[in-house]
Amino acid sequence: MEKSVIQLNDVSVSYLHNKRGIYSIKDFMLKGAFLSPFEHKQVLHNINLEVYKGQTLGILGKNGEGKSTLLRTIAGIIVPDTGTCKVTIEISPVLALGAGLELELTGLENIKIYMALSGRYQKNTIASLIDTVAAFSELSMEQLKMPVKMYSTGMLARLAFSTVMATQPNLLMIDEVLAVGDKGFQEKCKKRIHEVKNAGATVLFVSHNPEEVMEVCERGICLKEGKIICDSTSQDAVKEYYNLFN
Amino acid sequence: MISQKSYLVYFLIYKNLQLKYKHSLLGFAWSFLHPLFYLLVFNFVFSKAFSQIEHYSLFVISGLIFWIYFSNSCNQLSQTFIRNSHLIKSLNVKKLVYPVSEQGSELVSFLAGFVLFIFLMLYLGMHVNFNLLYILPIIVLFSVFTFSLGLILGALNVFFRDVGILWNTLNPALFYLSPIAYGLDIIPEKYVFYFKLNPLYHFFYIIRDVLYSGTAPSLHHVLYCLIITAVCFGIAMLIYRKMRNGFISNL
Repeated sequence: MEKSVIQLNDVSVSYLHNKRGIYSIKDFMLKGAFLSPFEHKQVLHNINLEVYKGQTLGILGKNGEGKSTLLRTIAGIIVPDTGTCKVTIEISPVLALGAGLELELTGLENIKIYMALSGRYQKNTIASLIDTVAAFSELSMEQLKMPVKMYSTGMLARLAFSTVMATQPNLLMIDEVLAVGDKGFQEKCKKRIHEVKNAGATVLFVSHNPEEVMEVCERGICLKEGKIICDSTSQDAVKEYYNLFN
Repeated sequence: MISQKSYLVYFLIYKNLQLKYKHSLLGFAWSFLHPLFYLLVFNFVFSKAFSQIEHYSLFVISGLIFWIYFSNSCNQLSQTFIRNSHLIKSLNVKKLVYPVSEQGSELVSFLAGFVLFIFLMLYLGMHVNFNLLYILPIIVLFSVFTFSLGLILGALNVFFRDVGILWNTLNPALFYLSPIAYGLDIIPEKYVFYFKLNPLYHFFYIIRDVLYSGTAPSLHHVLYCLIITAVCFGIAMLIYRKMRNGFISNL
Protein backbone atom coordinates (compact mmCIF):
# COMPACT_ATOMS: atom_id res chain seq x y z
CA MET A 1 0.00 0.00 0.00
CA GLU A 2 1.35 3.41 -0.92
CA LYS A 3 1.86 5.94 1.82
CA SER A 4 -0.30 9.02 1.73
CA VAL A 5 1.83 12.13 2.11
CA ILE A 6 -0.72 14.88 1.62
CA GLN A 7 -4.11 14.77 3.26
CA LEU A 8 -6.70 17.50 2.92
CA ASN A 9 -9.88 17.01 4.89
CA ASP A 10 -12.77 19.30 4.19
CA VAL A 11 -10.50 22.25 3.54
CA SER A 12 -12.13 25.60 2.90
CA VAL A 13 -10.17 28.72 2.18
CA SER A 14 -11.46 32.22 1.85
CA TYR A 15 -9.74 35.49 1.22
CA LEU A 16 -10.39 38.55 3.24
CA HIS A 17 -10.92 41.37 0.82
CA ASN A 18 -10.72 45.04 1.58
CA LYS A 19 -13.71 45.94 -0.54
CA ARG A 20 -13.36 49.67 0.00
CA GLY A 21 -10.08 49.97 -1.74
CA ILE A 22 -9.08 53.51 -2.43
CA TYR A 23 -11.35 54.08 -5.36
CA SER A 24 -13.13 57.07 -3.97
CA ILE A 25 -13.80 58.78 -0.75
CA LYS A 26 -17.33 59.42 -2.01
CA ASP A 27 -18.02 55.69 -2.12
CA PHE A 28 -16.78 55.47 1.39
CA MET A 29 -19.14 58.17 2.60
CA LEU A 30 -22.17 56.93 0.69
CA LYS A 31 -21.89 53.20 1.22
CA GLY A 32 -22.05 52.98 4.97
CA ALA A 33 -18.77 53.92 6.49
CA PHE A 34 -19.82 51.87 9.50
CA LEU A 35 -19.98 48.49 7.84
CA SER A 36 -17.01 46.20 8.07
CA PRO A 37 -14.54 47.12 5.37
CA PHE A 38 -13.76 43.47 4.73
CA GLU A 39 -15.63 40.75 2.97
CA HIS A 40 -14.87 37.07 2.70
CA LYS A 41 -14.43 35.64 -0.72
CA GLN A 42 -14.58 31.89 -0.68
CA VAL A 43 -11.95 30.35 -2.92
CA LEU A 44 -11.85 26.69 -1.98
CA HIS A 45 -14.94 24.76 -0.86
CA ASN A 46 -14.62 21.62 1.23
CA ILE A 47 -11.70 20.10 -0.58
CA ASN A 48 -10.92 16.48 0.18
CA LEU A 49 -7.75 15.24 -1.36
CA GLU A 50 -5.24 12.54 -0.64
CA VAL A 51 -1.98 12.29 -2.52
CA TYR A 52 0.36 9.32 -2.23
CA LYS A 53 4.10 9.21 -2.19
CA GLY A 54 5.56 9.19 -5.67
CA GLN A 55 2.35 10.23 -7.34
CA THR A 56 2.16 12.85 -10.07
CA LEU A 57 -0.99 14.89 -9.81
CA GLY A 58 -2.09 17.33 -12.48
CA ILE A 59 -4.34 20.18 -11.42
CA LEU A 60 -6.56 21.66 -14.10
CA GLY A 61 -9.15 24.39 -14.12
CA LYS A 62 -9.96 27.75 -15.55
CA ASN A 63 -8.20 30.91 -14.39
CA GLY A 64 -9.16 31.98 -10.93
CA GLU A 65 -10.77 28.72 -9.88
CA GLY A 66 -8.41 28.08 -7.00
CA LYS A 67 -5.48 26.11 -8.42
CA SER A 68 -2.74 28.32 -7.04
CA THR A 69 -4.59 28.70 -3.78
CA LEU A 70 -4.71 24.93 -3.48
CA LEU A 71 -0.95 24.69 -3.96
CA ARG A 72 -0.31 27.46 -1.45
CA THR A 73 -2.54 25.76 1.08
CA ILE A 74 -0.59 22.54 0.70
CA ALA A 75 2.67 24.47 0.98
CA GLY A 76 1.48 25.88 4.28
CA ILE A 77 1.50 29.44 3.03
CA ILE A 78 -2.26 29.79 3.48
CA VAL A 79 -3.96 28.55 6.60
CA PRO A 80 -7.39 27.05 5.83
CA ASP A 81 -10.48 28.49 7.55
CA THR A 82 -11.87 25.08 8.29
CA GLY A 83 -10.66 21.54 7.76
CA THR A 84 -7.19 20.15 8.11
CA CYS A 85 -4.25 19.98 5.79
CA LYS A 86 -1.64 17.43 6.72
CA VAL A 87 1.58 17.10 4.80
CA THR A 88 4.02 14.49 6.03
CA ILE A 89 6.95 15.14 3.73
CA GLU A 90 9.26 18.07 3.57
CA ILE A 91 7.59 20.96 1.82
CA SER A 92 9.41 22.89 -0.83
CA PRO A 93 8.35 26.28 -2.12
CA VAL A 94 5.76 26.64 -4.83
CA LEU A 95 7.49 27.08 -8.13
CA ALA A 96 5.59 29.87 -9.80
CA LEU A 97 6.70 32.34 -12.39
CA GLY A 98 8.90 35.04 -10.94
CA ALA A 99 7.96 34.14 -7.40
CA GLY A 100 10.74 34.55 -4.92
CA LEU A 101 13.00 36.30 -7.37
CA GLU A 102 14.31 39.73 -6.46
CA LEU A 103 14.46 41.63 -9.72
CA GLU A 104 17.19 44.08 -8.75
CA LEU A 105 19.61 41.38 -7.64
CA THR A 106 21.70 39.12 -9.82
CA GLY A 107 20.92 35.53 -10.65
CA LEU A 108 23.68 34.32 -8.34
CA GLU A 109 22.42 36.37 -5.42
CA ASN A 110 18.94 35.09 -6.05
CA ILE A 111 20.13 31.49 -5.96
CA LYS A 112 21.81 32.08 -2.61
CA ILE A 113 18.80 33.83 -1.13
CA TYR A 114 16.56 31.07 -2.36
CA MET A 115 18.77 28.43 -0.76
CA ALA A 116 18.73 30.35 2.50
CA LEU A 117 14.98 30.84 2.35
CA SER A 118 14.35 27.17 1.77
CA GLY A 119 16.73 26.24 4.56
CA ARG A 120 19.31 24.58 2.35
CA TYR A 121 22.17 27.01 2.46
CA GLN A 122 25.50 25.52 3.43
CA LYS A 123 28.81 27.19 2.92
CA ASN A 124 30.57 24.13 1.62
CA THR A 125 27.90 23.03 -0.84
CA ILE A 126 26.73 26.34 -2.24
CA ALA A 127 29.37 26.44 -4.97
CA SER A 128 28.43 23.03 -6.32
CA LEU A 129 24.72 23.91 -6.11
CA ILE A 130 25.35 26.99 -8.19
CA ASP A 131 27.21 24.88 -10.74
CA THR A 132 24.24 22.52 -10.89
CA VAL A 133 21.85 25.40 -11.44
CA ALA A 134 24.07 26.94 -14.08
CA ALA A 135 24.44 23.64 -15.92
CA PHE A 136 20.76 22.81 -15.92
CA SER A 137 19.48 26.28 -16.71
CA GLU A 138 22.07 26.71 -19.50
CA LEU A 139 22.53 30.26 -18.29
CA SER A 140 26.10 31.46 -18.64
CA MET A 141 28.04 32.86 -15.69
CA GLU A 142 27.85 36.22 -17.37
CA GLN A 143 24.07 36.02 -17.43
CA LEU A 144 23.92 34.83 -13.84
CA LYS A 145 25.86 37.90 -12.82
CA MET A 146 23.28 40.19 -14.39
CA PRO A 147 20.37 41.61 -12.42
CA VAL A 148 17.38 39.39 -12.88
CA LYS A 149 15.28 42.28 -14.16
CA MET A 150 17.22 42.08 -17.40
CA TYR A 151 16.18 38.47 -17.96
CA SER A 152 13.52 37.43 -20.41
CA THR A 153 10.51 35.53 -19.04
CA GLY A 154 11.97 32.32 -20.38
CA MET A 155 15.26 32.94 -18.62
CA LEU A 156 13.41 33.66 -15.37
CA ALA A 157 11.63 30.35 -15.68
CA ARG A 158 14.93 28.57 -16.36
CA LEU A 159 16.50 30.12 -13.30
CA ALA A 160 13.53 29.40 -11.03
CA PHE A 161 13.07 25.83 -12.21
CA SER A 162 16.77 24.96 -12.08
CA THR A 163 17.18 26.45 -8.63
CA VAL A 164 14.31 24.51 -7.14
CA MET A 165 15.39 21.34 -8.91
CA ALA A 166 18.95 21.63 -7.63
CA THR A 167 17.68 21.18 -4.09
CA GLN A 168 16.23 17.76 -4.97
CA PRO A 169 12.84 18.34 -3.42
CA ASN A 170 10.64 15.56 -2.12
CA LEU A 171 7.53 17.46 -2.95
CA LEU A 172 7.58 19.43 -6.15
CA MET A 173 4.87 21.98 -6.80
CA ILE A 174 4.89 23.56 -10.22
CA ASP A 175 2.57 26.41 -11.05
CA GLU A 176 2.66 27.01 -14.80
CA VAL A 177 6.35 27.60 -15.08
CA LEU A 178 7.01 25.48 -18.13
CA ALA A 179 4.65 27.44 -20.34
CA VAL A 180 7.15 30.20 -21.05
CA GLY A 181 10.26 28.11 -21.67
CA ASP A 182 11.30 27.21 -25.18
CA LYS A 183 10.65 23.75 -26.60
CA GLY A 184 14.06 22.40 -25.70
CA PHE A 185 13.87 23.53 -22.13
CA GLN A 186 10.34 22.22 -21.71
CA GLU A 187 11.47 18.76 -22.79
CA LYS A 188 14.41 18.94 -20.43
CA CYS A 189 12.13 19.91 -17.56
CA LYS A 190 9.70 17.11 -18.24
CA LYS A 191 12.57 14.66 -18.29
CA ARG A 192 13.81 16.02 -14.99
CA ILE A 193 10.33 15.80 -13.46
CA HIS A 194 10.22 12.12 -14.44
CA GLU A 195 13.61 11.60 -12.84
CA VAL A 196 12.63 13.11 -9.51
CA LYS A 197 9.39 11.20 -9.66
CA ASN A 198 11.23 7.94 -10.20
CA ALA A 199 13.44 8.85 -7.28
CA GLY A 200 10.31 8.89 -5.13
CA ALA A 201 9.29 12.53 -5.16
CA THR A 202 5.68 13.60 -5.27
CA VAL A 203 4.76 16.07 -7.97
CA LEU A 204 1.86 18.53 -8.08
CA PHE A 205 1.57 20.11 -11.48
CA VAL A 206 -0.60 23.04 -12.46
CA SER A 207 -0.83 23.71 -16.16
CA HIS A 208 -3.12 25.01 -18.84
CA ASN A 209 -1.67 22.71 -21.38
CA PRO A 210 -3.72 19.48 -21.26
CA GLU A 211 -1.23 17.50 -23.35
CA GLU A 212 1.50 18.40 -20.93
CA VAL A 213 -0.61 17.28 -18.00
CA MET A 214 -1.33 13.93 -19.66
CA GLU A 215 2.34 13.52 -20.46
CA VAL A 216 3.66 14.37 -17.01
CA CYS A 217 0.93 13.15 -14.67
CA GLU A 218 -0.79 9.87 -14.02
CA ARG A 219 -3.55 11.33 -11.92
CA GLY A 220 -5.51 14.50 -12.52
CA ILE A 221 -8.05 16.66 -10.77
CA CYS A 222 -10.18 19.38 -12.25
CA LEU A 223 -11.29 22.37 -10.22
CA LYS A 224 -14.40 24.40 -10.83
CA GLU A 225 -15.38 27.31 -8.62
CA GLY A 226 -13.21 26.02 -5.83
CA LYS A 227 -14.54 22.47 -5.84
CA ILE A 228 -12.97 19.31 -7.18
CA ILE A 229 -15.34 18.18 -9.92
CA CYS A 230 -13.23 15.33 -11.18
CA ASP A 231 -10.56 13.22 -9.51
CA SER A 232 -9.38 10.45 -11.75
CA THR A 233 -6.68 9.66 -14.27
CA SER A 234 -5.13 12.62 -15.99
CA GLN A 235 -6.91 11.64 -19.24
CA ASP A 236 -10.32 11.86 -17.58
CA ALA A 237 -9.46 15.12 -15.87
CA VAL A 238 -8.41 16.59 -19.19
CA LYS A 239 -11.74 15.54 -20.75
CA GLU A 240 -13.54 17.23 -17.88
CA TYR A 241 -11.37 20.29 -18.39
CA TYR A 242 -12.40 20.49 -22.05
CA ASN A 243 -16.04 20.16 -20.99
CA LEU A 244 -15.68 23.34 -18.95
CA PHE A 245 -15.43 25.29 -22.15
CA ASN A 246 -18.41 23.76 -23.94
CA MET B 1 18.22 25.07 12.17
CA ILE B 2 19.56 28.04 14.11
CA SER B 3 22.31 28.54 11.59
CA GLN B 4 19.83 28.31 8.69
CA LYS B 5 17.74 31.05 10.27
CA SER B 6 20.78 33.24 10.70
CA TYR B 7 21.87 32.67 7.10
CA LEU B 8 18.41 33.68 6.08
CA VAL B 9 18.46 36.89 8.10
CA TYR B 10 21.99 37.56 6.88
CA PHE B 11 20.98 37.24 3.25
CA LEU B 12 17.87 39.31 3.69
CA ILE B 13 19.90 42.05 5.35
CA TYR B 14 22.37 41.82 2.49
CA LYS B 15 19.49 41.99 0.05
CA ASN B 16 17.94 45.04 1.72
CA LEU B 17 21.22 46.91 1.76
CA GLN B 18 21.90 45.98 -1.85
CA LEU B 19 18.50 47.21 -2.90
CA LYS B 20 18.91 50.40 -0.93
CA TYR B 21 22.31 51.39 -2.21
CA LYS B 22 22.55 49.57 -5.51
CA HIS B 23 21.98 52.57 -7.70
CA SER B 24 23.70 55.18 -5.57
CA LEU B 25 27.25 56.34 -6.11
CA LEU B 26 27.97 57.13 -2.49
CA GLY B 27 26.30 54.04 -1.04
CA PHE B 28 26.98 53.61 2.64
CA ALA B 29 28.33 57.13 2.94
CA TRP B 30 24.73 58.31 2.92
CA SER B 31 24.17 56.97 6.40
CA PHE B 32 26.72 59.58 7.46
CA LEU B 33 25.87 62.32 4.98
CA HIS B 34 22.13 62.35 5.55
CA PRO B 35 22.33 63.31 9.27
CA LEU B 36 25.29 65.56 8.58
CA PHE B 37 23.28 67.57 6.14
CA TYR B 38 20.46 67.98 8.67
CA LEU B 39 23.00 69.01 11.25
CA LEU B 40 24.33 71.78 9.03
CA VAL B 41 20.85 73.10 8.38
CA PHE B 42 20.02 73.04 12.08
CA ASN B 43 23.22 74.72 13.01
CA PHE B 44 22.57 77.40 10.48
CA VAL B 45 18.94 77.99 11.39
CA PHE B 46 18.74 77.38 15.10
CA SER B 47 22.09 77.87 16.78
CA LYS B 48 21.42 81.57 17.30
CA ALA B 49 17.87 80.95 18.47
CA PHE B 50 18.94 78.38 21.02
CA SER B 51 22.21 79.98 21.95
CA GLN B 52 21.63 79.19 25.64
CA ILE B 53 22.41 75.52 24.84
CA GLU B 54 26.07 74.82 25.27
CA HIS B 55 27.73 72.80 22.49
CA TYR B 56 24.61 73.15 20.38
CA SER B 57 25.92 70.99 17.52
CA LEU B 58 26.68 68.13 19.86
CA PHE B 59 23.25 68.53 21.43
CA VAL B 60 21.52 68.30 18.07
CA ILE B 61 23.61 65.54 16.60
CA SER B 62 23.15 63.19 19.55
CA GLY B 63 19.40 63.32 19.04
CA LEU B 64 19.41 63.61 15.31
CA ILE B 65 21.26 60.43 14.42
CA PHE B 66 18.89 58.41 16.56
CA TRP B 67 15.90 60.15 15.10
CA ILE B 68 17.02 59.33 11.57
CA TYR B 69 17.60 55.71 12.54
CA PHE B 70 14.12 55.64 14.07
CA SER B 71 12.41 57.29 11.14
CA ASN B 72 14.19 55.22 8.47
CA SER B 73 13.44 51.99 10.30
CA CYS B 74 9.76 52.78 10.71
CA ASN B 75 9.46 53.74 7.06
CA GLN B 76 11.13 50.53 5.93
CA LEU B 77 9.23 48.30 8.35
CA SER B 78 5.89 49.78 7.45
CA GLN B 79 6.48 48.52 3.89
CA THR B 80 8.26 45.29 4.71
CA PHE B 81 5.45 42.80 4.16
CA ILE B 82 4.26 44.57 1.05
CA ARG B 83 7.73 44.71 -0.44
CA ASN B 84 8.34 41.05 0.26
CA SER B 85 4.93 39.94 -0.94
CA HIS B 86 6.43 37.83 -3.73
CA LEU B 87 8.36 35.83 -1.14
CA ILE B 88 5.46 35.57 1.29
CA LYS B 89 3.29 34.22 -1.51
CA SER B 90 5.63 31.44 -2.52
CA LEU B 91 7.53 30.39 0.57
CA ASN B 92 6.44 28.99 3.86
CA VAL B 93 8.90 30.90 6.02
CA LYS B 94 8.11 32.63 9.27
CA LYS B 95 7.01 36.08 8.16
CA LEU B 96 8.74 37.69 11.09
CA VAL B 97 12.10 37.26 9.34
CA TYR B 98 11.22 40.09 6.97
CA PRO B 99 10.79 42.85 9.57
CA VAL B 100 13.65 41.45 11.63
CA SER B 101 16.03 41.62 8.69
CA GLU B 102 14.71 45.03 7.74
CA GLN B 103 15.51 46.31 11.22
CA GLY B 104 18.86 44.54 10.98
CA SER B 105 19.82 46.31 7.80
CA GLU B 106 18.80 49.67 9.21
CA LEU B 107 20.87 48.91 12.29
CA VAL B 108 23.88 48.11 10.13
CA SER B 109 23.68 51.38 8.25
CA PHE B 110 23.01 53.28 11.47
CA LEU B 111 26.09 51.79 13.12
CA ALA B 112 28.20 52.53 10.07
CA GLY B 113 27.25 56.16 10.33
CA PHE B 114 27.45 56.19 14.11
CA VAL B 115 31.10 55.17 14.14
CA LEU B 116 31.95 58.20 12.02
CA PHE B 117 29.77 60.44 14.16
CA ILE B 118 31.71 59.42 17.25
CA PHE B 119 34.72 61.18 15.77
CA LEU B 120 32.65 64.21 14.93
CA MET B 121 31.16 64.27 18.42
CA LEU B 122 34.61 64.02 19.96
CA TYR B 123 35.58 67.02 17.93
CA LEU B 124 32.45 68.84 19.08
CA GLY B 125 33.34 68.31 22.71
CA MET B 126 31.91 64.96 23.79
CA HIS B 127 33.10 63.76 27.20
CA VAL B 128 35.20 60.66 26.97
CA ASN B 129 34.62 58.30 29.87
CA PHE B 130 33.29 54.85 30.62
CA ASN B 131 29.73 56.14 30.73
CA LEU B 132 29.88 56.16 26.93
CA LEU B 133 29.55 52.38 27.00
CA TYR B 134 25.96 52.81 28.18
CA ILE B 135 25.11 53.76 24.63
CA LEU B 136 25.35 50.11 23.55
CA PRO B 137 22.46 48.78 25.66
CA ILE B 138 20.53 51.94 24.81
CA ILE B 139 20.96 51.20 21.10
CA VAL B 140 19.66 47.68 21.67
CA LEU B 141 16.65 48.92 23.62
CA PHE B 142 15.95 51.66 21.11
CA SER B 143 16.14 49.13 18.27
CA VAL B 144 13.60 46.86 19.96
CA PHE B 145 11.29 49.82 20.51
CA THR B 146 11.64 50.93 16.90
CA PHE B 147 11.14 47.40 15.67
CA SER B 148 7.93 47.05 17.68
CA LEU B 149 6.48 50.26 16.36
CA GLY B 150 7.55 49.39 12.82
CA LEU B 151 6.02 45.93 13.09
CA ILE B 152 2.69 47.42 14.15
CA LEU B 153 2.80 49.81 11.20
CA GLY B 154 3.88 47.06 8.83
CA ALA B 155 1.13 44.64 9.86
CA LEU B 156 -1.62 47.25 9.73
CA ASN B 157 -0.32 48.62 6.47
CA VAL B 158 -1.05 45.33 4.72
CA PHE B 159 -4.74 45.78 5.38
CA PHE B 160 -5.01 49.54 5.18
CA ARG B 161 -2.45 51.23 3.00
CA ASP B 162 -3.56 54.46 4.65
CA VAL B 163 -1.37 53.53 7.61
CA GLY B 164 1.82 53.98 5.64
CA ILE B 165 0.62 57.24 4.16
CA LEU B 166 -0.57 58.48 7.54
CA TRP B 167 2.79 57.61 9.05
CA ASN B 168 4.61 59.59 6.40
CA THR B 169 2.32 62.51 7.15
CA LEU B 170 2.82 62.38 10.89
CA ASN B 171 6.54 61.73 10.71
CA PRO B 172 7.65 65.39 10.37
CA ALA B 173 5.21 66.47 13.06
CA LEU B 174 6.68 63.92 15.44
CA PHE B 175 10.12 65.17 14.53
CA TYR B 176 9.34 68.71 15.61
CA LEU B 177 7.41 67.57 18.65
CA SER B 178 10.36 65.55 19.89
CA PRO B 179 12.99 67.62 21.60
CA ILE B 180 15.75 67.13 19.04
CA ALA B 181 16.69 70.63 17.99
CA TYR B 182 15.70 72.24 21.27
CA GLY B 183 15.62 71.46 24.97
CA LEU B 184 12.46 71.02 26.95
CA ASP B 185 13.21 74.17 28.94
CA ILE B 186 11.86 76.40 26.15
CA ILE B 187 8.46 74.68 26.32
CA PRO B 188 5.84 76.54 28.39
CA GLU B 189 5.24 74.81 31.70
CA LYS B 190 1.67 73.76 30.96
CA TYR B 191 2.67 71.80 27.83
CA VAL B 192 5.60 69.95 29.33
CA PHE B 193 3.37 67.15 30.53
CA TYR B 194 2.22 66.43 26.97
CA PHE B 195 5.75 66.46 25.65
CA LYS B 196 6.65 63.83 28.18
CA LEU B 197 3.96 61.53 26.82
CA ASN B 198 6.08 61.12 23.73
CA PRO B 199 8.14 57.94 24.23
CA LEU B 200 10.90 59.37 22.11
CA TYR B 201 11.42 62.14 24.66
CA HIS B 202 12.57 59.61 27.25
CA PHE B 203 14.85 57.87 24.79
CA PHE B 204 16.45 61.11 23.73
CA TYR B 205 16.84 62.03 27.36
CA ILE B 206 18.94 58.99 28.20
CA ILE B 207 20.84 59.20 24.92
CA ARG B 208 21.81 62.78 25.77
CA ASP B 209 22.75 61.81 29.30
CA VAL B 210 25.39 59.58 27.79
CA LEU B 211 26.52 61.36 24.63
CA TYR B 212 26.00 64.99 25.57
CA SER B 213 26.39 65.23 29.34
CA GLY B 214 28.76 62.33 29.73
CA THR B 215 26.89 60.88 32.69
CA ALA B 216 25.17 57.57 33.32
CA PRO B 217 21.59 57.50 32.00
CA SER B 218 19.10 58.65 34.60
CA LEU B 219 17.44 55.68 36.17
CA HIS B 220 13.84 56.72 36.07
CA HIS B 221 13.98 57.54 32.37
CA VAL B 222 15.61 54.20 31.73
CA LEU B 223 12.73 52.56 33.54
CA TYR B 224 10.25 54.50 31.43
CA CYS B 225 12.01 53.35 28.27
CA LEU B 226 12.06 49.74 29.41
CA ILE B 227 8.34 49.78 30.20
CA ILE B 228 7.42 51.55 26.96
CA THR B 229 9.50 49.09 24.95
CA ALA B 230 8.03 46.06 26.69
CA VAL B 231 4.46 47.28 26.20
CA CYS B 232 5.08 48.19 22.56
CA PHE B 233 6.72 44.87 21.87
CA GLY B 234 3.82 43.01 23.46
CA ILE B 235 1.24 44.93 21.44
CA ALA B 236 3.26 44.45 18.25
CA MET B 237 3.44 40.68 18.71
CA LEU B 238 -0.27 40.51 19.50
CA ILE B 239 -1.20 42.44 16.38
CA TYR B 240 1.22 40.47 14.25
CA ARG B 241 -0.09 37.10 15.51
CA LYS B 242 -3.65 38.18 14.94
CA MET B 243 -3.03 39.44 11.44
CA ARG B 244 -0.34 37.29 9.88
CA ASN B 245 -2.69 34.70 8.40
CA GLY B 246 -4.63 37.40 6.62
CA PHE B 247 -1.56 38.94 4.99
CA ILE B 248 -1.65 36.73 1.97
CA SER B 249 -5.10 37.75 0.84
CA ASN B 250 -4.23 41.42 0.95
CA LEU B 251 -0.83 41.36 -0.69
